[in-house]
Amino acid sequence: MRNHPVVIAGLLLMVPGALLLGDGAWIWAKGRLAQVLLHRAWQRARAGSTRPKPWPWADTWPVARLRVPSLGVDEIVLAGASGRTLAFGPGHVDGTAPPGRPGVCVLSGHRDTHFAFLEKLRAGAEIDLETADGRRTRFRVTSTKVLDRDDSWVLEDDGDSDLLTLVTCWPFHAVAPGGPGRFAVWAEEEPSIGATGSATVVPYPLLRQPLVEHQEVAHG
Amino acid sequence: MRHTSIFIVVCVLGLVAVAVAAAPTPGGTRCLDQLGDTVGMAEVGEGSLLYRTAEPGRYIPAPHLATEAHIVVRGILARTRVTQHFSNPTDEWLEGVYVFPLPAGAAVDTLRMVVGERIIEGQIQERAAARRVYEQARTEGRTASLVEQERPNIFTTSVANIAPGEEIQVTIEYGETLRLSGGELELRFPMVVGPRYIPGVPTGPAQLGWSDDTDQVPDASRITPPVREPGDPDVNRVQLTVDLDLGVPLQALLCPYHPVSIAHENGRRYTVALAKADVPADRDFVLRMVPQATHEPTAVAFTEEEDGARYVLVMLMPPNGGSEPRLPRETIFVIDTSGSMYGASIQQARRALLFALGRLHPEDSFNVIQFNSTMHRLFDAARPAMPAALEQARAWVGALQANGGTEMLSALRAALAGTARGDEAATVRQVVFITDGCVGNEDQLFEVIRRELGRSRLFTVGIGSAPNSHFMERAARFGRGTFSYIGSPSEVEERMQALFTKLEAPVLSDIEVRWNDPAAEAWPQRIPDLYAGEPVVVAARLASDSGEVVVTGRRGVEPLEMRMPVDVAEERAGIARLWARRKIASLTDQRSNGVPEDQVRAAVLEVALAHHLVSKYTSLVAVDVTPRRPSADELHTAAVPTELPAGWSRQHVFGSLPKTATRAPLSLALGLLLLLAGAVLLWVSEVR
Repeated sequence: MRNHPVVIAGLLLMVPGALLLGDGAWIWAKGRLAQVLLHRAWQRARAGSTRPKPWPWADTWPVARLRVPSLGVDEIVLAGASGRTLAFGPGHVDGTAPPGRPGVCVLSGHRDTHFAFLEKLRAGAEIDLETADGRRTRFRVTSTKVLDRDDSWVLEDDGDSDLLTLVTCWPFHAVAPGGPGRFAVWAEEEPSIGATGSATVVPYPLLRQPLVEHQEVAHG
Repeated sequence: MRHTSIFIVVCVLGLVAVAVAAAPTPGGTRCLDQLGDTVGMAEVGEGSLLYRTAEPGRYIPAPHLATEAHIVVRGILARTRVTQHFSNPTDEWLEGVYVFPLPAGAAVDTLRMVVGERIIEGQIQERAAARRVYEQARTEGRTASLVEQERPNIFTTSVANIAPGEEIQVTIEYGETLRLSGGELELRFPMVVGPRYIPGVPTGPAQLGWSDDTDQVPDASRITPPVREPGDPDVNRVQLTVDLDLGVPLQALLCPYHPVSIAHENGRRYTVALAKADVPADRDFVLRMVPQATHEPTAVAFTEEEDGARYVLVMLMPPNGGSEPRLPRETIFVIDTSGSMYGASIQQARRALLFALGRLHPEDSFNVIQFNSTMHRLFDAARPAMPAALEQARAWVGALQANGGTEMLSALRAALAGTARGDEAATVRQVVFITDGCVGNEDQLFEVIRRELGRSRLFTVGIGSAPNSHFMERAARFGRGTFSYIGSPSEVEERMQALFTKLEAPVLSDIEVRWNDPAAEAWPQRIPDLYAGEPVVVAARLASDSGEVVVTGRRGVEPLEMRMPVDVAEERAGIARLWARRKIASLTDQRSNGVPEDQVRAAVLEVALAHHLVSKYTSLVAVDVTPRRPSADELHTAAVPTELPAGWSRQHVFGSLPKTATRAPLSLALGLLLLLAGAVLLWVSEVR
């Protein structure tokens, strides 16, 4: 005979279970879907569009394309590293050197989605970074290290070297988010591999806070 | 029966799982972690790094701001007029909100708004009432301004309905007394509220500040104005002039942090002006005045009659005390190594500490505590200051780096630990607290100091370009010690030397002030212990303008008495308000002594309203008569960004590394677990 309370109990467990599963799947799917839209926005950026929005309500925009040929990674990097931005793609950390400019450029991404590949990066691996003006810079991984979230010296620019630093959370396969561990990969710039495009150069810092842009946002 | 219990267990499990998945990740007590939480529950736990705007991605044009300050110093009294020019470069109607600092003892009594040709005087009202008046004017399209107090040294000016292309002038005025210490008078004009560390768990979304409100700092979003980003246009340029006449000839006039031009007008009068026309508002302006040795002020009195009452302000400098045999002491050094101390500040702090270690005697004992996100002690317990221990301490201090949060509470507790019990009168116990005080939970810290002080004495050393003067002064006051400031590396030795002179000279205690006027109401009611070179400053309301004030006290075993007739006092405007300001400060302190907030509030309201003073519970509001903004036009509200204090590193304040884990793995794991458990139950019911 069917045992009704147990059946109900079973269903009661399965409903939140399915919801949670859906939630987890959605977060990962969102990360992937967004990259498709971002690649389109990147084409527009390369064609000279200033700060193209990947979708109409976006509050961020693509600033670079990150490729690791050996791992088949091809991702669009967004401006800013807020939680909202990182849900869609790796983010360029505000206040560090803009991609393609001299100095220390720090990119950050989720350890369980866009930056999961950091675990497999070894010294010597090649990383290509393309900016909206079509310039490509090749970096070569020099070292990796496990850090604490307070190790903000990673973001500092010593003024001597041109570095690309990729930061994500650590350990990679922890189940719960919010831990203090971080993982960083440092890569040094290789000699220039030349430009491939001819889009207009828009200096990155000048893109911030133009009033015209706002008015559009404020009304929208 | 068994089924019911299974059912209940399952329900509970299900609820717990949902709660776990929906709850924000704990441990977000750093200012930055909370930023992450402001972006919405959907991405909770992912975190952002730097402030962008209150609402990430929405770029709101803030009104431009320029500030002019004019300070008139006469004797030990100063009156300052600060004019804030809010201009609107856009073609929209704007509301600007600007959070700015004033000296901790400032009595703000005047607000004046200039709209075109019209001048509107501000009225004092209860805080909530003033806000209502302002909000109503704001909605009706009338230009209005509101000045509110967030901390005794943090104020907010809000200006609503600034027309496109227009400039609104908001002028505020305040009086204060200069600080006299060690033969030197000091005037301080702070220019920026340094980003404060906000402890606690977020309770509400941030509006205009970069921080959410938290359980420990319920008004955090009001004291964390956005910080200008590198590469953005200048935000607030300051012009400043000081008209100075101490009434005595000067031996030295020093402006340590700003290049200035000094003009000797005539006799004892000088004009000091910033050498450059527009300086960034990124550090305290300080002026130090040293009177000629024979003219050091020893007794000063000012008086004013208002509403039939006579108000007097008296400053009496006790004669130099004799020396006492030096008692062995236990000194606990506490050094702030949080991110805001990065750069010049931590260097100054380390040097100050190394200097202090050199002043210890072998019979003394000591310990060093450093704190940022966590707290570390050099030794488990204080150790005798023998060469080996000192060597170890020097190496430890020399290696200190600044990074992370400002969890001050645990460090303060550790420094005061064990002194409430056990009364070893033979040793003096001193806590030297070296910090920039950039925290938002001051009241919580004061409460701990008051409760756990015991026989310790707390001395604050304010470090850096924009220290939190309210914290320095009140913490020292509750800690029955004194405060000093170090604003540049070149001052370390001189300032620490002066502090140690105070630490080692006998203290003037049990101070009582008597007025031969039964109706006298004097504030503060209890005079704190005084250290070498510090005067008694007290204000009173009297029934008559004659009589005498008698100050008695004890220095070591020697009794001390000072007398001064009241009728020699010089007539001066503003004394009644300075009296009222002191009364408000004393009443506010009573909160830490367990007096209920309602009672304090009622008492403060009465005196603040009567004397037209801005306080925690009263604000000044000015409203233009005619509505100007057409109701069809929208009003955009924006916080005016502030500078990062000079010498600060943005990355060390705002820059913990981004949080980069989604809750997806957790959700998936929990979801699978629940599905599995459910399936097992279904299977069990099928089998039976």
